[in-house]
Amino acid sequence: MSAAALDRQIRPIYDALDTGSNKSAILACNKLLKKYPKSDLLKSLKALALVRSQKVEESLVLCDEVLASKPTDDSTLTAMMHVLRHLGRHSDMVVMFEDAFKRQPGNEELGVQTFFANVRTGNWKTAQLHATKLKKQFGDDRYVYWGIMCAILQANDHITPPNMCDLLYKLAHRLASSVWSATEFNPDRLHLYLSILRKLHLYDDARTVLDSEQGKSICSRSLACDELRREIWKEKGWLKEEGKLAEERIVHKQDRNWLEFLSVLDATFSSLTSSNEAPDASAREECTQEAARVRILFTKVAEEDGRKDRSGLLALLELEKRARIHDVSSDPSRLVDLLQQYHETFGDKAASYEDLKPYLDMDGEDLTRWISYLDGLPHSSSSLADLQRSINVYKLSRYNLQPSQYTVELEVPRALHLKQEYLEALSLGKDLPKTELQPADDLAILAAQVYVGLYSLSGDKDHLQHAIVFLEYASKKSPQSYLIHLHLIRIYRLLGAPQPALEHYRLLNVKQVQNDTLSHYILNRASDFSLAASGDLTYASECLESSQIYLSNTQEVKKGNTQTNPRRANVRQTADFIVRAFNGEKYSQIPDFIAFEDRLDNSLERDLVKMEHVRMRITHETINSDLIDMELIELKFIFERMHHDNRDFALLPNYQPLGQPSFVTQTTLMRKQPGFGWLSVFLKIYIRALQQASDMDNTVEEKLLIGDRPKPSTGPDNNVPLNDRVSIRRPEELAELTSDELTFYNYATDLADWLAPYHDHTRPPPSVVLAEATKQAELKTGHPLKGLEVPVDSGNGHAKKAEDAPLVKEAPASLVTFFTHMQSRFKALLESNSPSPELLHVASITQEALILLNIETLRFKNQSVIKVHKLGPLAQSFKAIRASAVGILGEMSKDLIALGEGEGTSESRKAFVEQCKDLQGDSNITHDYVLDVAKKVTDARKKVLEGFGKGIARVCTNHA
Amino acid sequence: MSIIRPFRATDLFAFNNINLDVWTETYGISFYLSYLARWPDLCCVQQAPNGPLMGYVIGKAEGTSTEFHGHVTALTVAPEFRRLGLARSMMSFLERVSNDVYGGFFVDLYVRCRNGVAIGMYEGLGYSVYRRVREYYGSLGLGPGGKDDEDAFDMRKPLSRDPFRRSVRPNGRDMIVSAHDVS
Repeated sequence: MSAAALDRQIRPIYDALDTGSNKSAILACNKLLKKYPKSDLLKSLKALALVRSQKVEESLVLCDEVLASKPTDDSTLTAMMHVLRHLGRHSDMVVMFEDAFKRQPGNEELGVQTFFANVRTGNWKTAQLHATKLKKQFGDDRYVYWGIMCAILQANDHITPPNMCDLLYKLAHRLASSVWSATEFNPDRLHLYLSILRKLHLYDDARTVLDSEQGKSICSRSLACDELRREIWKEKGWLKEEGKLAEERIVHKQDRNWLEFLSVLDATFSSLTSSNEAPDASAREECTQEAARVRILFTKVAEEDGRKDRSGLLALLELEKRARIHDVSSDPSRLVDLLQQYHETFGDKAASYEDLKPYLDMDGEDLTRWISYLDGLPHSSSSLADLQRSINVYKLSRYNLQPSQYTVELEVPRALHLKQEYLEALSLGKDLPKTELQPADDLAILAAQVYVGLYSLSGDKDHLQHAIVFLEYASKKSPQSYLIHLHLIRIYRLLGAPQPALEHYRLLNVKQVQNDTLSHYILNRASDFSLAASGDLTYASECLESSQIYLSNTQEVKKGNTQTNPRRANVRQTADFIVRAFNGEKYSQIPDFIAFEDRLDNSLERDLVKMEHVRMRITHETINSDLIDMELIELKFIFERMHHDNRDFALLPNYQPLGQPSFVTQTTLMRKQPGFGWLSVFLKIYIRALQQASDMDNTVEEKLLIGDRPKPSTGPDNNVPLNDRVSIRRPEELAELTSDELTFYNYATDLADWLAPYHDHTRPPPSVVLAEATKQAELKTGHPLKGLEVPVDSGNGHAKKAEDAPLVKEAPASLVTFFTHMQSRFKALLESNSPSPELLHVASITQEALILLNIETLRFKNQSVIKVHKLGPLAQSFKAIRASAVGILGEMSKDLIALGEGEGTSESRKAFVEQCKDLQGDSNITHDYVLDVAKKVTDARKKVLEGFGKGIARVCTNHA
Repeated sequence: MSIIRPFRATDLFAFNNINLDVWTETYGISFYLSYLARWPDLCCVQQAPNGPLMGYVIGKAEGTSTEFHGHVTALTVAPEFRRLGLARSMMSFLERVSNDVYGGFFVDLYVRCRNGVAIGMYEGLGYSVYRRVREYYGSLGLGPGGKDDEDAFDMRKPLSRDPFRRSVRPNGRDMIVSAHDVS
């Protein structure tokens, strides 16, 4: 065959792959493969098309064929690279490139690709050795830097032992010293070199480089190098020199980077902070004089800059704050004087309040003076500047509101006053287009926070309704205000009205990586609001959608051979950029990319959402072995992760007085925020239950999984086997649970402890499980399972074990009392007219307990298992528990439905409107408008109460 | 008063207060990483002393021979930190790097024709319209501003390598090109 002819024929296959027409790519491959049955390129392209159409098994066969032939040509290698990435077989990719490079050792491109393949798998050690090889063979200096970077990355890897770390940095240092030259002007190479010197505390060496013309020149144009320089100076305690340098920049270069001001401040107090011993009188005197000098400097800056820049004035405030801390302040009235001056100069800027917040923690004379100053200021909304000033004064006064002034009686008029101010100030923005924010928005947010604070003080949910009515109005006026949306989301959820919360969340247009930081606003404890049991999958799909971001950026190990729920391509995007950064020698970025990937892959929110999704899924799907095995594998992986909390709570401003719970705390459901501990507890509950229910023990799982395994955990218990770790209880984890979740945890533990011996006795042996898996796979794909030798076993799957079944023990009493306890919890909440989220929470946990019972007892539904092992009495005891649970849940269901019906009546709307009467009264917030909001809230509550009630009824039928 | 420091990949977890603004687009992760992997020195953030990010700029260097220039891909400031001169200082940062590090001939940027406030600010910083690009912003459709909503001005400012100001022209507003003609 002529290469050109084949090339021409292959082109359409590439086109088909590019446009996502995998089917036609497969057809085209088949056609050509008849002609050229040995072509590796065709096979690899077909494998790619297959894996993209989720035909993992078929793809694996081709993939292994190609790998066995050890290809060396570019196009095949490239195609295979994509196939292997899709399959998560990164280690095979390394081997493939290594083999190719061995065959053509003079091919630099192959050498580089082998290096990159190692980078993709995070195999820093091999990558480092390979870089050395590349340097020897091809002589380019950049390979030395690659090696240095890899040594550092290996040292930073959490699986590297600490003593090894030091050696690696020394190796990096040796390499770097050999290649660093005085003519080097690449800032990233300098950055890399400096980071080694810093880590090894070779500060003087670092200083020599940085003080040279070369170093100065690079730092002047690279923010990253300058940042590192600053850190080194600070660590070494060269504060005075740094302060002097910073002063020059401030005075001569008009540099207003706040970091320069901090350097001057650090230098000012260095005579007191530099030694561990208590400073003597001379040090104190030195500091006092220095502070006086710097004060003059900053005052000059402030005067020169006027309203152009806030740095000078803010630096004066920071100077005074630190002087007070170190007891060298010379003028007791200065702090308040400066605060006043700041407000007068910059009070019309929106940032002013946040600027001043760090300096407001005061008492005594200061506080009295400051409050009386604020009280004396006029409020006006006649111009934008006046309005902003007025808003800032409200915020400032509220911050220092004293406990005696913070009562329901005083807060109600404050809220109404803010409302009035808001309505008046609206006229300032009446001509703005809809895409602009209203200048008065913050007044509405302040008022809403006052109402939420009132709810927190009194427990009266009417205040929340006030907040909703008012914020909905503000949101209409300023549809783009994300803060108003976020406030509404939190308050609607608190009121047990999840639907409008979701609507506002969608208006935020959360995209991409924001899903990770923001989805908690809507998915935190979402299973309490999920109507999945009654067929409404809104929340379940919201979970899946928000999780897409992780799938497209991560490597997942797939349970390939028995896969039933194919995942989308798992291409590690970030790894590609790490490779790019190596290629472009942007070393400063590589540790950041790795940190970013780690935080995203091991995001706490990711797995909180996953857990919520599992809890929703089991309410509406049939519990079978597929579901059990798939979830078990995934949850076990999650359990090994070291999580990072990326959730953005700081986005919500807090306008509650100092010392009061923050707005975020006040609006957290049940006042308990699920975190690392919560996740750990629920993972343990489900891993234990699913492990017992599953036939797949560790040996089977190992054989059925394809792709690379995640790196082993380095948690505190990593040497304890997983089976034992899931039984460990930690007090700090329990503290994150609501009381009902804790009860549930106890129930789940008792249930699992009780049933464990019977599961272990009746679980079919691995050989039987594997044989069955092979049979199923062959039926599905026509291929036997790859690389699996099923031992011949004569048994029929229920072979009687040598020893007898363990004696049937009676069910622990706690299992039955759990349900009666939950029943009385529910009734008490119902009677006390508690907010519906808590009621739903109790119902949801009770329902979950029934489902968990079913997962745990699924194995014993099989009559032959019961018969063979003589477990009849055991089966009887489940029945009793189940019957009691179903009875109790049935009542809860009825109560919820009845409550829901009560919500949807005109009376409930009328009552709502009546309660919010004080908000009405002018042309803006009319009776009809409030009625609309009332309808929205009550309808949403009706929907969730009824839906949840019906869902429970259905779960009861399915699991009875 | 703010901290000026390099844009880091992990800032993507902290830029919500900036990116939830209606005019600021949140791109896929690969967008940000591709800039950081190539032009990290043209990307920086401004951070408030107490933590929150205030704004950021993302730029790149592109073009060949006398067309080699710095390009402002995204410049944004959170609503609560506007009117403090942040945009101005980030622009001057990007101009300095484009000039000193890359040796570009000019810096350019695209702005919606309707965005009078921004255009005025850029003019104040020494930028002028080089050409009008038709339908550069397609996604919003025609709003009340008509063509001004979807057309963009390509604005430029010459750097020290272009002392004769060859990269700008006085009648740029009349030079109309289609979106296909620009990269």
